[in-house]
Amino acid sequence: MYDPFSLLGLERRPLLAEERIGNAYRQLAGTLHPDQPGGDTGAFRELGEAAATLSDPSRRLRALLGNPAYSSPRIPQQASDLFLKVAWILQHSDRLTEQYAAASTSLSKALLSAPVQSLFLELNATSTLLQEWRTTLDKELVQLDLSWPSHDPDCVLELADSLAYAIRWTAQLRERKLALQGIFS
Amino acid sequence: MIAGIDLGTTNSLIGVYESGFPTLLADSDGNRLTPSIVFYPEQENPLTGREALRHQAISPERTIVSVKRLMGRRLGELGTEFLHGKKGDAAALHVAGRVLTPEEVSSEILKKLKNIAETRLGCEVPKAVITVPAYFNDAQRAATRKAGEMAGFTVERIISEPTAAALAYGLDRLQDRSKIAVYDLGGGTFDVSILQLDNGVFQVLSTHGDTRLGGDDLDEEIAALIKRKTQVIPSSPQEDIRLLEMARSSKETLSTQESCTIRLPFLQEDKSIELTLTRAEIESVCAPIIRRTKMHCLKALEDAGVPLAELNEVILVGGSTRMPFVRNFVAEIFGKVPDLSQHPDEAVALGAIIQAAILEGTLRNVALLDVTPLSLGLETFGGLMNVIIPRNTSIPAKAGEMFTNAVAGQAGMKINVLQGERELASDNWLLGNFEIPFSPSAKGAARIGVQFSIDADGILQVLARDTKTGDEKILELTSAVEVSDEAVESMLAGSLEHALEDMDARIFTENRLKAEEMLPAVEAALVQLCNELSDEEIRQVRFYAGEVTSALESKETGRLKNALSILDNATQSLATRLIERAML
Repeated sequence: MYDPFSLLGLERRPLLAEERIGNAYRQLAGTLHPDQPGGDTGAFRELGEAAATLSDPSRRLRALLGNPAYSSPRIPQQASDLFLKVAWILQHSDRLTEQYAAASTSLSKALLSAPVQSLFLELNATSTLLQEWRTTLDKELVQLDLSWPSHDPDCVLELADSLAYAIRWTAQLRERKLALQGIFS
Repeated sequence: MIAGIDLGTTNSLIGVYESGFPTLLADSDGNRLTPSIVFYPEQENPLTGREALRHQAISPERTIVSVKRLMGRRLGELGTEFLHGKKGDAAALHVAGRVLTPEEVSSEILKKLKNIAETRLGCEVPKAVITVPAYFNDAQRAATRKAGEMAGFTVERIISEPTAAALAYGLDRLQDRSKIAVYDLGGGTFDVSILQLDNGVFQVLSTHGDTRLGGDDLDEEIAALIKRKTQVIPSSPQEDIRLLEMARSSKETLSTQESCTIRLPFLQEDKSIELTLTRAEIESVCAPIIRRTKMHCLKALEDAGVPLAELNEVILVGGSTRMPFVRNFVAEIFGKVPDLSQHPDEAVALGAIIQAAILEGTLRNVALLDVTPLSLGLETFGGLMNVIIPRNTSIPAKAGEMFTNAVAGQAGMKINVLQGERELASDNWLLGNFEIPFSPSAKGAARIGVQFSIDADGILQVLARDTKTGDEKILELTSAVEVSDEAVESMLAGSLEHALEDMDARIFTENRLKAEEMLPAVEAALVQLCNELSDEEIRQVRFYAGEVTSALESKETGRLKNALSILDNATQSLATRLIERAML
């Protein structure tokens, strides 16, 4: 197993600026790309994977722990309420966008604008809660980085799992938000 | 020598890298743009480009335009009179008694370009880089590659159009470090890509688009506007073509003028058309289509993780970006005035030539890192999509998955390969399927590693390795868009049935469905707005709804269609009020 940190020439620690990862990636990718003289497809792909791993704080933490196997993922305790809210919004917005797409007259589309509007407000409120949770997690990440390399592997793994959920839910909500905005425009 | 080719929906270009510059090659009349049109005469070989253009107005039924929109597509997704067959079949065209695949038609255009280049350069041009819309899926890319091969090219690379445009823009800015957006609205397709330029490295961060949104759609809206204003109902394909041509040329004129006069003498035996169109008029019919691009831009920015404030430049390419409305709309989306330094028709071809020079090794210190636009995955139990390679992954890329046998002695397992962003497998594009072979073993003991790799063209390859025996084999992905001879036969047979289909019955059913949606919607709207509507308004809407109900009972298609359109009009103000209420 290759080490993404050394591959990109970056130090092994929990906090790494996105920009540094991107710059290191581009510099190396520019020479390793198979189109370049002396380029290498295998090495290029590995580099891409390494950059993707380090750009995701959750995967970065797992890499620091030596990539422990995924156990059955559990929703972290402090996020169980949030999970239910997010799931509810995903379900309802998918249903509404589907209904909207199926509606073929302007009147039947117009009838959906009230439910869409109220779901949109709900979505924004949940996004704010999610953002707050993410901020807490980011603070934990900073704390961890300050005391690095001393750490408790279980706590780091828990933080990695929490970040993975926060990132995924944020992306899912964003996607739905754009879909609902699409209905308005 | 490797040529760079922009194989466009409406126009195509070819060029080569010469003495340090990308150079476009013109035909003997000095034209660099070759219309992407193919004309099929009764017996002789097809004519392409400008020669085909001359025949279009006279024999539209023998002339194929915008074939790019059919590349790698299946029936059921498309509706055009040339097409026949049953839903799910690969698209094929019936022209002048021949059955043609879109690849064959495209290859005629590519042959023409090859010929232009070879005449111009006086030597053979055996290799090419061909551009495709960034949002083309695997099947569409593979079809384009195949068209190139049919035209006699070794296709060195398939690259994305906005990426190519970025290369053209960035070639004289190699020291730059900036983030740019490329907004590419062409004849038939729309793409938007976000790139990071960093000392000669062009990294695509994200891409989004719609492979069925472009200037062609605008022309149709404008043609519909002309028909409404003049009350003309075309009675032949020739008349349709003349109207479309007029729509296109007025669109072009109105990009620089505020109004123009249209004259179509003797469009019909006793009828000539003359009318004035204003820019504002065509903008109002084109706006809904152009507005659809906004969502793609926002999604691309999101995926790239680039906030608007960090974006340094927005580049416009594609012929449709000449419309002032498009330019203003782009400025509104990105909050900055777009860069117009690139030639809307030529930037993509120049980029293809630059990529050719990178591959040849003549252009050093420039690297292009492109991405796969769509996620690639497998169908899992329960019909869900399991993403293996997420969208916007730099290509070439690879990922693997391990499979095992569920029962002892199981000989193999069928896997569906999907491309798309939806959670349900059935909502995504089925690329095809393959069979994983298991060596005879106890339950769960067989171990087959399957590796998916996307090559630099964005085309998928699947490799299976038996970890016990070490045997490796490339799995043939049975493409859902390969046309077999039997399929062609059945398409021919199907086309006869198709001709006998009762058109009237189909139109009635469509309208019946619309009525069944409309009537309950009217009731619901009346309930919700009961405090705001006058008795007179309610009475009127109910009257028109009643007309629809009795038209339904009468089973008369024309009457139903008419009643529906009156009801639709009569309820517009209700729709507006419902939307306003929701926004409060």
